[in-house]
Amino acid sequence: MFLYAFIFPIISIIAIVWFVARYLKGKNSLTTVVLWTIFWIFVSIFSIFPEVSTRFASMFGITRGLDFVIILVFVILFYTVLKLYFIVDKMQNDLNKIVKEVALNNEITLEDEEE
Amino acid sequence: MEYEITAEDKDATYVVLPAYNEATRIQPVIEAIAEKGYNMVIVNDGSSDNTLDVIMQSKKKYPDQIHVFSLLINRGVGVATQTGFDAVLKFNPKYIVSMDSDGQHSADDLDDVIKPLVTGEAEAVIGVRPLKDMPFTRNFANAIMNLLTRIFYRVDVSDSQTGFRALTLDALNKISINATGYLISSEFIREINDNDIPFAEVPIETIYTPETQAKGTNVVVAFKILLQMIKHQF
Repeated sequence: MFLYAFIFPIISIIAIVWFVARYLKGKNSLTTVVLWTIFWIFVSIFSIFPEVSTRFASMFGITRGLDFVIILVFVILFYTVLKLYFIVDKMQNDLNKIVKEVALNNEITLEDEEE
Repeated sequence: MEYEITAEDKDATYVVLPAYNEATRIQPVIEAIAEKGYNMVIVNDGSSDNTLDVIMQSKKKYPDQIHVFSLLINRGVGVATQTGFDAVLKFNPKYIVSMDSDGQHSADDLDDVIKPLVTGEAEAVIGVRPLKDMPFTRNFANAIMNLLTRIFYRVDVSDSQTGFRALTLDALNKISINATGYLISSEFIREINDNDIPFAEVPIETIYTPETQAKGTNVVVAFKILLQMIKHQF
């Protein structure tokens, strides 16, 4: 058995516990916890039983198990980047609103300047 | 006989000036506009130099004509202009103009730009820069931007990237600007077109210096605007 067969399940358990803890503190949505838990379970399964990935791969018409894992990781990374992009975009818009509002409510007068 | 802009017309006009790091250039711009008898709303876009101090120096000279607002952090020419357009509503203007504060536009063109609004010929005006005055790289980037504005917004104008525009209060209330950066120029034209606002093009003088050259629409900015245009389609 390879070293990664031990390391990945440990990382997975830590990650799942971390996500559940964040959910309990109200920092994550349930969907996020479920999706990431599924992801980490798959990571553990693939690292303990690498041959399982080949079976999954053949379901999608991919011959090698490793190719399947790499494609899966790409899909997840792409999704994460896209999601982050939307979050940043929304935050930028909110920030613009706040900065605008603050400026509009505080016309700068000559008295302000003297202070 | 050609209409002459009166003092009342000027009094009812507010010029919006977004300013980002313009400490070395903005003072003559402000004072030329003030000398002409126009009012101004100047928005300091979170400048990291002493632009705000320079603006306040000018305000001391023309306290009634200049109104100053300041964004806490730099948010781009679009947000600064939007802030100016919102702020100007406090002063009940009839005509609103927006100009660049780096000195590339001449205050002498103000009368010509608001004339179609005053005479009722148009409700929105864009100041068009003569292509022959533009340096080649700018000219090329602008030609691309005009084409993109035509493709994405279906409006054909001779200068889609001009920062010199004027509109009536009615027209300002009809349009909604969301762009944060240089996309504002194309978006302004799209909004005018979508709201069926009658508009006119007025030729303006453009003064290009190495300093003004560094800002504005170059090929990189044009590419960024393209990405934003694509995004706005969804």
